[in-house]
Amino acid sequence: MTFRQFAYRNVIRNRRIYAAFFMASMFSVMVFFMYSMLLFHPKIEDEFLREFAASGMIVAEIILYIFTLFFLFYSMSAFLQARSKEFGLLLQLGMEKKQLNQLIFLETMLIGAVSVATGIFFGYAFSKFFFMIVRELLQLESLPLYVSFKPFALTVGAFFSLFVIIAMTSVVFIREQKIIELIRGYWKTDELQNYSTVKAYLGIGMLLFAYGAAAFTSMNVVLALAIVLPPLAAFGTYFFFTHSVLFLLHQIRKRKSLYWQPYRLIAISEVAVKLRENARMYFIVTIVSTVAFLSVGTLTSLSSYTGQFRQLNPLSLIYSSEMTNPYESDHISSLRKELEEQGLSYTLVPFLIKQQTSSFSQNSVDVLRESDVNSLAIALGSPLIELETGEAMFIPYSEESVESLTNKEIQTVLEESNVPIQIRGVYPQMLFPSMIIGSNIIAISDEDYQLIDEPFNGKTKEDSSYKFFAFHVAEWERTKSIGLEIDSQVTDTIYDGGFANLPFYFENPGLNYSVIRATFSLLLFTGLMVAAVLLLAAGSFVYFKLYTGLERDKRQFDLLKRMGLTDQELIKIVNRQLIPQFFLPWGIAMLHSAFSFLSLQVIWRNLAEVSILSEMILVLVGFTFIQVIYYFLIRWRYIAHVRAS
Amino acid sequence: MTILKMAEVTKVYEGKVTHRAINQLSFEVNKGEFVAVMGPSGSGKTTLLNLISTIDSATSGTITIDGQRPEEMTKTELALFRRRQLGFVFQDFNLLQMLTVEENLVLPLTLDGIPIDEMKRRIKELAKKLDLDQILEKRPNEISGGQAQRTAIGRALIHKPNFILADEPTGNLDSKASRDVLELLAKVNQEQKTTILMVTHDPIAASYCDRVIFIKDGEFFNEIYSDDRRQTFFQRILNVLSLLGGNVNDLSTIRLP
Repeated sequence: MTFRQFAYRNVIRNRRIYAAFFMASMFSVMVFFMYSMLLFHPKIEDEFLREFAASGMIVAEIILYIFTLFFLFYSMSAFLQARSKEFGLLLQLGMEKKQLNQLIFLETMLIGAVSVATGIFFGYAFSKFFFMIVRELLQLESLPLYVSFKPFALTVGAFFSLFVIIAMTSVVFIREQKIIELIRGYWKTDELQNYSTVKAYLGIGMLLFAYGAAAFTSMNVVLALAIVLPPLAAFGTYFFFTHSVLFLLHQIRKRKSLYWQPYRLIAISEVAVKLRENARMYFIVTIVSTVAFLSVGTLTSLSSYTGQFRQLNPLSLIYSSEMTNPYESDHISSLRKELEEQGLSYTLVPFLIKQQTSSFSQNSVDVLRESDVNSLAIALGSPLIELETGEAMFIPYSEESVESLTNKEIQTVLEESNVPIQIRGVYPQMLFPSMIIGSNIIAISDEDYQLIDEPFNGKTKEDSSYKFFAFHVAEWERTKSIGLEIDSQVTDTIYDGGFANLPFYFENPGLNYSVIRATFSLLLFTGLMVAAVLLLAAGSFVYFKLYTGLERDKRQFDLLKRMGLTDQELIKIVNRQLIPQFFLPWGIAMLHSAFSFLSLQVIWRNLAEVSILSEMILVLVGFTFIQVIYYFLIRWRYIAHVRAS
Repeated sequence: MTILKMAEVTKVYEGKVTHRAINQLSFEVNKGEFVAVMGPSGSGKTTLLNLISTIDSATSGTITIDGQRPEEMTKTELALFRRRQLGFVFQDFNLLQMLTVEENLVLPLTLDGIPIDEMKRRIKELAKKLDLDQILEKRPNEISGGQAQRTAIGRALIHKPNFILADEPTGNLDSKASRDVLELLAKVNQEQKTTILMVTHDPIAASYCDRVIFIKDGEFFNEIYSDDRRQTFFQRILNVLSLLGGNVNDLSTIRLP
């Protein structure tokens, strides 16, 4: 048997142990490779999408790379610790440390090579599927599978270097120990009371402060808090796991009536040992899970913004035009023509909006005609309004204004034309997107509308009114190719800074929607896959740690069984031992995310008036579900291991 | 009155190599007796102890402990039986490292949900008897081997079992600690009339007992009863051991008390 065969057989015959490790690294390679495939895709023609997809993929790949490095390093050292007896024996039999390093290097590289190869294989196999999803998300014509050496080279290069780093560094643990310590095994008991009460309180205090600040934040301070709170919470979490948890457990242990209970005595003391041993790992798992929860939660809340997009933009195409606009008839007829060419049925409602001064506030007010509003309402399927002479109604400019204006009643006179009106109530839903139209709009009866004939204070008659063409298209999502020319004309003028001189304005929510939807859903999809890798890694950390302690746990349960522990009691003790290990980091991560979402909600409310509560609950419930499944899976394996004699 | 009755007990380990660990072994242990089982390596002592501990079952023959037949009980009943009727002392103490001495002592009682006050009372009583008062708050890695074995004996006694099974209790101890532990076991046996079955290699340890049963290759070989003087009993044990013809290694050097 050559040295290489020895390394090979070590891996192959330990395949059960290496399986979880191998799966996690293979999955990571697979996702990395699929991202690379998209990154180098030659067929994404849209400049913006290409830029966007590329930068998104690069960020995702860097995150993946760093976490995989971290995860592999951690699990590799856990494995080596578990095998320390074996290494001690080899050294005792006369193996040189140099040879041992070589052995570990060979084994690591073998697993690395196999997981890179299978990862790329499955990555390529699933690439077509991945492209299909991306194509749907980006609404591209086609996104074919392609062959290029670039994604292969990137993945192989990245992960090969990664495994070399791991193979070189993970032997440090073995190198530093004496043979006798290796043979005795990894397990050592430390002092129980190695926590500091001050730091324990500090940890709890920092967390409570961070939560309090996040919960009662307001728009003024939220950005400052966004810089201060994450490090504060991170330090708080660190102290919480390294000191506060031990402190709390010690408090329980001091109270015998709480502690000396059938299952608690063993479970609590065991949990204390495990938590102390793995405090740093739980800290890392908590932070990783929080990042995963938050990124997915944030992205979901972005998607919920797209979901409410329609509500905020009820019209399909909007063209507003000043009376002096020379392009008006050209533009409107070209829009009509394009719609007809696309085979889209539409309703066009033209408005003539008159500006007057309200005697009540001395501000300008945009006046709409009741019959125009009604014809738009008919097209949209919205409720109709009925106004008598002298009556008026607010038209809402935002979701919030619907509520704030509902019970408002104002007696005013449109000063220039001397038309007295009473404004009462508000139209129950948004008719125009808030960007397009001013914030002071009312609808008045046709009779009153006729009476307005004097120009707006200080302006000519032409300047004191403007036209507004509202297109309603039932299939509004298909309008993204309509009016591209007018749109670019508007965009160019805005870039040149001549917005004020533009005699018209055009907006196509369908086009905006498709861009927003594509970017957000691609982000979400990328984020979900990265989060999946992170969660897999976080779960594996816990699994590996359990695995390294398995020998010792098994001996302990054997003793307890001899002393008369029934199987049911064993399962109860295992539950009480595993639940804190699984759900404490998770619970803290949940709390972190929940309070972060509270702050995020403040930002969102100001930006887009979107409520992310339901999405946030969905995300947290989803992750909880995954965690519970993972818990039962691990518990099943763990119990099978400790029970086996 | 008999507390343990072994009748024609045979244990065969099936596997790639079939191995007969115990062969038609029969003997009885009376209530209140302190019995040692001796034999060379591989004579089936550990198998015998596992059978009596009810964590392994015989291939044929019957074992009766305190009138009960382990092979007729369910797994849960067996666990409860071990928990309430049996006490265990091991060679390497097997104290739980994460528990203090006090918590290790109280472990069997917590499994049965005994009231806290009762547990405290029993600990107080035992700690005095076993001289553990000073180290109750210490953890197993902070105490000496003798103290650890006394703790383990305390753990075997705290639930007042009828029958204590000891597996080489002095195997990891120096001579002074060995003597303390053996005197303690003898005292427990005398004062509380607790039956003790001890498996040992050490003729000195065996000389503390009322009776020594010798087994060889899983079969009954001989038994001798103690007389008035421990010294002569020790000599007779040595005589039987030399007859038994185990390896030289199994006979520990002669240490006279």
